[in-house]
Amino acid sequence: MPATVASATTSSAPAPSWRRRLFGEHPSAWAFILPSTVLVLGMNLIPMGWAFLLSFKASDLVTPGHWVGMANYRALGHDPNFRSAVGHTLLYSALYVPLSVGGGLAVASMLNRRIRFVGIYRTAIFVPFIMSAAAEGVLFSFVLDPQYGVANSAMHGLGIARQGFLQDPAQALYVLVGIGLWGGLGFCVIVFLAALQDIPKELMEAAAIDGARRWVVFRKIVLPALRPVLIFLLVWQTLDALQLFDLVYATTQGGPLGATTVVVYYVYEQAFQFFHAGYGSAVAYVLALAMFAVGLLRLLGGRVQRWRRERALAPGGAR
Amino acid sequence: MRRWLIIAALLCTAIVAAGCGGGSDNGGTSANGVVTLKFWPGQNDIPKQALDTLVARFNATHPHIHISSDSGGVLADEMLTKVTAALASGSYPDIAYIYGSDLANLARSSKVLDLTDTVNRPSFGWNEFWPAERQAATVDGKVRAIPALTDNLAVIYNPKLFDQAGLPYPKADWTWDDYRAIARKLTNAATGTFGAAWPGAGGEDTTWRLWPMLWQQGGDILAPDGKKAAFDSPQGVGALTLVNQMATVDKSIYVDPDPNSEHMQQLFVNGKLGMLIGGPWSLPDMVAAHEKYGVVQMPGYNGDHTTIAGPDNWVIFDNGGARTQAAITFVTWLTDPAQDVVWDRATQSLPLRRTTLASPAYKAYAKTIVGMDLFAKNLVNARARPTIGTYPQISHAVGEAIVGSLLGRTKPADGLKQAEQSANSALSGAPY
Repeated sequence: MPATVASATTSSAPAPSWRRRLFGEHPSAWAFILPSTVLVLGMNLIPMGWAFLLSFKASDLVTPGHWVGMANYRALGHDPNFRSAVGHTLLYSALYVPLSVGGGLAVASMLNRRIRFVGIYRTAIFVPFIMSAAAEGVLFSFVLDPQYGVANSAMHGLGIARQGFLQDPAQALYVLVGIGLWGGLGFCVIVFLAALQDIPKELMEAAAIDGARRWVVFRKIVLPALRPVLIFLLVWQTLDALQLFDLVYATTQGGPLGATTVVVYYVYEQAFQFFHAGYGSAVAYVLALAMFAVGLLRLLGGRVQRWRRERALAPGGAR
Repeated sequence: MRRWLIIAALLCTAIVAAGCGGGSDNGGTSANGVVTLKFWPGQNDIPKQALDTLVARFNATHPHIHISSDSGGVLADEMLTKVTAALASGSYPDIAYIYGSDLANLARSSKVLDLTDTVNRPSFGWNEFWPAERQAATVDGKVRAIPALTDNLAVIYNPKLFDQAGLPYPKADWTWDDYRAIARKLTNAATGTFGAAWPGAGGEDTTWRLWPMLWQQGGDILAPDGKKAAFDSPQGVGALTLVNQMATVDKSIYVDPDPNSEHMQQLFVNGKLGMLIGGPWSLPDMVAAHEKYGVVQMPGYNGDHTTIAGPDNWVIFDNGGARTQAAITFVTWLTDPAQDVVWDRATQSLPLRRTTLASPAYKAYAKTIVGMDLFAKNLVNARARPTIGTYPQISHAVGEAIVGSLLGRTKPADGLKQAEQSANSALSGAPY
């Protein structure tokens, strides 16, 4: 469809001036997008390109560094610490994404009713999302202190043995998932709530009149209506989980015994604590590739879906 | 598409030009002959106020130099990241506050000034600085920084808990076995009281507390040539085994999960911790909480009570002759006893120079905080960590071994063996 517009302008108008050719039909538009373009270029694209180059270098950021080709990426293949960092990130994502999206949907459905003080509940569930990860870290490090924390004394009261929580290598990552959920659930709830309130009441009423039970209404009307939001949240939360850093930094610093060293924390450790900026960049690029793949998957998924729908609607298709 | 490329290219040039433009200088001297210096002290609260006062005094008394102190928007913990980025961009400050353990890495940059000749001038008084400070400012035999702040570790104890347990207060000639025995007696699970504490997050705060135990027995972190690790020795294993036994058998050590080791400090202030290995920075909290405490030097092996100091530094960056000279003038002035006293009081740190320690102003101040004089006297017993670029990796590896021993997850000998392997691999230049 852009072809028609283009051919119309080129055929009717005389040869456009260089200025027009450079800046388009509405030159002033550039003035409007210039600030954000500069920001995106300066803050994102240029550093990204620079980091990409860095990943082929042995560099400590302090001295000029030298080219090592693929050596950083090859070394990654043999690095047991990198492998375990990837494992931690995957485990965290595998738990955090379904729990936050599923939990968010459940809580949003509960809060989408006419109940007393619903405003208070909605606020309460969203407040942790606004909290900075650093504050969250300090809060939970006190609550979960193995010796003096509130959590252990409460569990002691119930007759449950003391837990190590963030100090126990076998538990720490799961505890982090819990803290992450505490902070991240609110976002999913708010997005789901907004989507739930967009579903026309008449549809539900009609279904109810037709005798559909609540579960059927949920499955046949609510879920399909939430589909775009659901997919958005899945992608968003996955990217969020893959980028986990601040919580780890504020609570465990990758410990105990490396049990919570996730990929981004590993990048930080390599680049800014051990001065292996080139190697750190290579790790970062592997992660970037993984995130790109997630985005691509979403895009392809959308394409396939649209193609199916079009085929279904095409004459001859099932109607 | 073409259009996009052209515009993108234009913008790139603009940004790069702007980035460089900010850093260009004419030796830092403005038309009226005043040299302006960028000073990143990375402090807040009381230390910042004290520095601001000192800077104002310097600016008033030195008409040809103007110090502009803005911290670069970060505090000392983030200073290294900030300075690294600043160096990469080519627009860096004249003076920055750098942690002792970061100096060796930063000193690889040729923009970090070599101050060997400067400090060796008789008027500078390099020998007035403590051995640990001089050691921590020296990388590969060259002086690359001026000491900015110094401390050391000693044992702070709670007399009330000693009285309750019917124990005499620790004496200066005590041993690590005494330390273990006392800690066990002070520990009381029923009241939630611990005899001792150790940071359990695995950072440098976990690691550096082990080094005095190693040094006191004649062990060391690195082999004399500096190319191999040497901490996996009978001395190292002995020290770590003691810590391991205290934590897992006696259960007399509180393992602090907080990355900033603040829980153990809090515990002491709340009267639940008998002995805290800490520095002069620990004292103000206790004074503020009106909790009685005493300070005694570290326990020893065979009568050796060597401790560790972790001095931080002022690093001066090369921004051309005039600015460099002005920066040296300022930092020299700042470490002079008259200013040193003000700074020490604000940061609760120890005198940078012996001459400060002897000054009446410092003596008057030290009297106001119990134990401060002991920390100051302890400086002659203090050593510094090796100033090598791979130290952070060595520290990380040993930190894991210590945490493993504290939590009873690894045997001290196995942990140290593995740590030494990692350290040697780091020393040989491998990335992990």
